[in-house]
Amino acid sequence: MTLNKLFLTNFRLHENTTLEFSNNLNYIVGGNGQGKTSILEAIYYLCTTRNISQSSDQEAVTFSKKYFELNGNFKDLTTNKTKVFYDNESNRKNYFLDDKQIYRASSIIGKFPVVTLTPSDHSITMGSPADRRKFIDSVISQSSDTYLKILMEYNKTIKQRSSLLSQLKDHRSAGLLQELDAWDLMLAKNGAEIIRHRINFLNDFELFVKEAYHNLMEEVEVPEIFYSTIQISDFSKIEEDILSALEKRRKDELIRGTNLVGPHRDDFVFSINGLELKKFGSQGQHKTFQIALRFGQFFFMNERLGRKPIFLMDDVFGELDTYRANKISEYLKDIGQAFITMTDFSNVANLSINETDRMINVHGGVAEYVS
Amino acid sequence: MQIPEPLQIAIDELSKLPSIGRKTAMRLALHLLSSDQERIDSLIHSIADLKAKIGFCTDCFNFSVNELCDICSNPKRDKTILCVVEEASDIIAIERTNEFSGIYHVLGGVLSPLDGSSVESLNIRELLSRLRESEIKEVILALNPNTEGESTSLYLAKLLKPLSLNISRIARGLPIGGDLEFADEATIGRAVLGRISL
Repeated sequence: MTLNKLFLTNFRLHENTTLEFSNNLNYIVGGNGQGKTSILEAIYYLCTTRNISQSSDQEAVTFSKKYFELNGNFKDLTTNKTKVFYDNESNRKNYFLDDKQIYRASSIIGKFPVVTLTPSDHSITMGSPADRRKFIDSVISQSSDTYLKILMEYNKTIKQRSSLLSQLKDHRSAGLLQELDAWDLMLAKNGAEIIRHRINFLNDFELFVKEAYHNLMEEVEVPEIFYSTIQISDFSKIEEDILSALEKRRKDELIRGTNLVGPHRDDFVFSINGLELKKFGSQGQHKTFQIALRFGQFFFMNERLGRKPIFLMDDVFGELDTYRANKISEYLKDIGQAFITMTDFSNVANLSINETDRMINVHGGVAEYVS
Repeated sequence: MQIPEPLQIAIDELSKLPSIGRKTAMRLALHLLSSDQERIDSLIHSIADLKAKIGFCTDCFNFSVNELCDICSNPKRDKTILCVVEEASDIIAIERTNEFSGIYHVLGGVLSPLDGSSVESLNIRELLSRLRESEIKEVILALNPNTEGESTSLYLAKLLKPLSLNISRIARGLPIGGDLEFADEATIGRAVLGRISL
């Protein structure tokens, strides 16, 4: 799947920008604050209806304007016209697919698969377990509706159970303790399904990450992803394992009044040649690992969905030496369509650029083609 | 235009009802205003009777005019099989099927610590004493298949286990006359897990 055309109106610095893209690599070059990332942001909006970062829709409207409008033409087997329209006054965002308004964002998710690699990815390898769970959950959810539903049900169970535990902390009674037994069973049932999904996913995903890492770094560095969850005796007995872990921690749970056992406390430990990345990794290794995770995600989704996602890369070359930058740009040839922002042309000399690739210069919200 | 106060009050009261918005409330109020007195009286009468005449069955907590509801007092019902439901309205739904000839027990909700609904606020103690004193041999748990309903079923199953009764939960799966392709993944997944041999 590719994005052929993009129109931005009153979107950040872009008051009126029209772009046609290559089906291969599109390099978007410009100084800081000139409107490079806004183009990636716009593409992300059209693929998912959502903002790429946590910022609000209103912030994306050009200063002193009242609305923004994005239009994009996707080409897969057929052509799809998409449009996002946001209006300041009503604070409403409307999404249109082929001129028909789409009311539920969930019906768009997965239609235009997209993978992003942005500077905020550093939280995946450097941040908290919650950041890693968010990343892993989002990749699994993109290829499995069932997982998303179980996850939602599990989260509800956790909330109910936590409320019960805090009631028990204030006042312990036999009745409430019996209720807790029931929520234990519920947590074990849904939790086991989540853990099984995660194990299955990581078995596949790790191979994709290893391959990506190998392609980025020729030296013999072997990345690994270790799944840290409750003690598991057997793949088919996870439910029992959760229950026995709950039994062991029950005293602590009652004293502290919070959930202490379950996949909501899982972590994913990344390592290189057996050394834990978070403790021993250099900046460059972190960055390479983040890139390998996203490439891994790309090829995983490609296999699961049977088509190539669009790849958005925000300022990947900034922190890398020329050797690695060159490796990435070679690797990108297998990718299909990608959008890559860069701060200056000095990097360009080190990249292997094809005739079919496109170079776009962005300055003060105005874009022009360089090649 | 200023709306006369009695009309405004009627509109306000009507719009408190479920699935009635401001506009519908206004239409209903105006319609009532133009209806003849006899119809109004009959409506007022029926509403007053609701609260005055209908209470709960002392055995099963179903809606009832008498001390025992029609189902509990019906000698033709099978008193050895009991179906546990969340609300009395669920009984109406199951009765419409004509597939169940046993008796019921209404819990009056499900376990939900977040909403303050616990064992004490539900009719669980009553269920236990009922099971101990009666000839009931089989219990069917017919709670909604959501997180809270599920956990309540698990709770009850564990609680009732020592009574050595036959305990089951209603099956879940695809609607009759439905198409596989239109069902959501979770439903199909559960239906596959809960398959039955032929």
